[in-house]
Formats: sequence, structure tokens, C-alpha cells
Amino acid sequence: MHVHDDPDVESAELAARLSGGDREALAEMYRRWSPLVHTIALRSLGTREDAEDVVQQVFVAAWRGRETLRPDRGSPAAWLVGIAKHRIADVRTQRYRTHRNLQALATEAVTEAPAPDDSDWAERLLLVHELERMGDPRATVLRMAFIEDRTQDEIARALDMPLGTVKSHVRRGLIELRDRLKEVERVSSE
Amino acid sequence: MSHPSDDELVDLAVGEADDPERAAHVAGCDTCSAAVEQLRRTAQLVSGTRTYAAWQAPADDVWARVTAELDAELDAETDAESDTRTDTRTDTRTDTRTDTRTDTRTDTRTEIGAAADAKTRADAEADADAGGGTDAHTPRVADAPSVVSPVTAPAPATVTRLDRRTRRRAAGWAAGLVAASLVVGLLVGRAIWSPDTDGQVAQVALSTLDTRQRGGEATLVRAADGLDLNVATARPLDAGDGYLEVWLINADGKRMVSIGVLQPGESGTFPVTQALIEQGYVIVDISKEQFDDKPAHSGDSLLRGRLPA
Repeated sequence: MHVHDDPDVESAELAARLSGGDREALAEMYRRWSPLVHTIALRSLGTREDAEDVVQQVFVAAWRGRETLRPDRGSPAAWLVGIAKHRIADVRTQRYRTHRNLQALATEAVTEAPAPDDSDWAERLLLVHELERMGDPRATVLRMAFIEDRTQDEIARALDMPLGTVKSHVRRGLIELRDRLKEVERVSSE
Repeated sequence: MSHPSDDELVDLAVGEADDPERAAHVAGCDTCSAAVEQLRRTAQLVSGTRTYAAWQAPADDVWARVTAELDAELDAETDAESDTRTDTRTDTRTDTRTDTRTDTRTDTRTEIGAAADAKTRADAEADADAGGGTDAHTPRVADAPSVVSPVTAPAPATVTRLDRRTRRRAAGWAAGLVAASLVVGLLVGRAIWSPDTDGQVAQVALSTLDTRQRGGEATLVRAADGLDLNVATARPLDAGDGYLEVWLINADGKRMVSIGVLQPGESGTFPVTQALIEQGYVIVDISKEQFDDKPAHSGDSLLRGRLPA
């Protein structure tokens, strides 16, 4: 299954509707982005039960915090992922506490702090999602540049495209992706 | 020199820049080097992604959980109550968006109770679906009188679909016994006809089957979207370790529908339809049920009465 959404204009419209208190907008966001949120939670936490709890919490929190959605920050996907990241961190902390308490009871030993989320599932999967919805040729240019690690000259030749066009796609594409990650950071650190 | 543009910073980040002066500026500028670092990290994260992520949608009931939680919150605001159940995993079997009455009932349960109840009901429904009502279940009607009306052949019980929230239950009664208890119902149901007072359509006293002692009453009233059956008991009925269930039994003695669960000591309001009444489901019955995964009427009727036509 792939997550696709419509152009940015429609996403911004959806964000505006949610901010205005339209429950149907929340339902539409759930239809579009619950697989993204769920997959991130599932990879980060490992169990379906926890992942589904996170999905529930994210969309409930999205509704409650709809005033914090900034339609000007692009697709609401990054906003939802930011909320998800926060919730996932909460579950991890909770798990660590439970684990530590059990350990303390058993051995009175202090265990190490929870492992930081070094797998970056939230960011990585959001970027996969963004590349999927970005469309070609920009997405292909970015994949060739960063996943296949090809130079812009090579890409231009392979795609039979002027070098300036390739450069422009890399610039705009990377800036757009960077902005999405900034949004995740902004929301998850609140 | 001024700060490089975003485009120029990208070129630096991805190693496609060819202006040493800009590179020198960035190296000495915290803002710009932070920006370049951010772009590099973005590129790095892209490089670590596989082209396709195997997206996995959450289970179907998660959206219902979201709406249930939000609706519970909305109800709490409406009732001006303090919101103490924000993180409660709400009974997912109840679609609370369209049924505020059910909401209220769900919300007042404890989490464990709700879960157990959901399970019971899930099992009950599964049984009803699988069994199709052919499961012969002998009712334990206390002191059933020897009056037996002529029912010639046992007919398979028919389940009428009321709507989603009424947990219909298949009832396969031994036909003779149904008829017997039905006669009791007819005998004890002392009808009081008071048309069109406060939307009241019909009222009947509910009495015990054995001693014909009056123990409550059922009133059919016109509601905004159909009919409501209000059921009240004079004294709290003893549900033992089970629960009380309200049924509408058809006058033909062969069919019945469950219309809901009655809390001991409380009155209950159960939405019914005009069509149901017109089809002859006019005998109100309160039974004592066990949490036994058996969807059929237990046969243990506590009170009964027939609504006047």
C-alpha cells in the first residue's frame, strides 16, 4: 500500500478546515495519513497494540491541538508525524520506567537510560512519503542524487535533462524536505 | 559578504558548489553552517530510506476509538462534567457518533467492565451469527402454568434486525413453553390505554410470571425519531451475578428481539420502531441473563407485560 495525497493546495485547504473545527477534515486526514503514522509507530515500538494506541492518541491530539496546525507549513503530514514522534517518545519513556522499576525490585540495580530513538523512523518514513507524493521528475532526481549517490552531471545525462534543471530540482526538493523535517522538530519538541 | 541563498546552501551541502568564497563564509558563520548541516542531515536521511516503505494501515477499529474518545469528551463538555476519561480506551464496539444514549451508558462503565462486556457481546453476536437461531434453548420459566395454547409445530426462531446498537439475539425456544409463558404474559399484562398524553402511545404494567405481582411498568412514547420504550421497575430487580435484558416478544410467540440492557434499580429508555410494534412485537419482557456467551433468552423472565394494541 502506498500513501498518496493530493497537491499541496488541497492539503493546505484540509489544514484550514481542521483548524476551523471541521470533524470531516480529521476523518479525511485519518484516511490519508493513518498508514504513515501507524507504520512509523510500528517500526519504532515493535508491537501492533502500542502502534495502534499511538495512532489513536495522535488523531485525538490532532483534534485537540488543531489550533497549532499551521497551514502555511505545508502538508499536515509533517505535523501529524511530529505529534506521533512525541507520543512514541512517551511510550518509550513509560517502558523504560516500567523496566527500571522491575529491575530495581529485582536487583536494585540502575539500568541505563532509554536508548534514544536513533533509528529515525519518523523522519525517514516521512521522507519516503514525501518523495512518493512529490511526483516525477523531481522525486526521481532526488532518489538518484541521494539514494544512488550519483552526481548531478550523471543524473542529467541519464535523464536526458539540462544540468540546470537537475540542479533546480535538487535545490527545491531538498529545501522542501528540510522544511518538513523542521516542522516535525517544531511539533515534537513542543 | 551577505549570507548565501538557500539554493547556494544546498549546493554546498551536497558538494556541488564551486565558489570558495561562499564556502569560507559558511565555515565562519554559525547560522549558515547550521543550515548546511540541516540540509546534509536531510540528504542523509533520504539516502537511508528505501524507495518503498511497506505501509501498514492500522486496524479498522482504531478510527472508531478516535471518534469514541472525542465524542466522550464532547459529551463531558456538554454535561459540564470534569473530563476524567481522556485516555480511556473506549468500547470500540459502540459507534458513538450516532447514538448518544449508548454513549452515556458506555462512559459510566469501568474500563475493565466495558472490555469484558464488549467481549461478551462480541461472542454473543458471533454465536448469533453462527447459530442462526436454531440453537434449541430450553427456557426456565419459573412456575410455568399448565395452560398451553395450540402451537402445532416448533418453528425456528426468527431474529429481527432492529439496528446496530440493539444486540439482537437469536432465541430458539421450545415452542410449547413459549406459548405457555406467552399466555401468562397475556394474563398478567394489565393494559392501561392513555393515548396522546405527553406523546405517550401505550402503557402496560409489568408483573411477575408466578405470583402476578406488579413490579414495574413499560411506557411507549413517541420520540423525535421514532418510539421510545421506557421501562421502570418498582424495586431494583436482582440480576445476581448476571445482568437484566429487555426484550420485545412477538405476539405470535415465535419471535423476539432484544432491545437492550437494564441497569438494576434504574429506569431505561430503549429506542424501538413503529414497524416493530406493528409487526406484533408488543410483549415487554425483562429477563435475567448470565455472562455465558449464549445470545438467546435465558428463559428466566422476571417481569412481563403486553402493550395494548
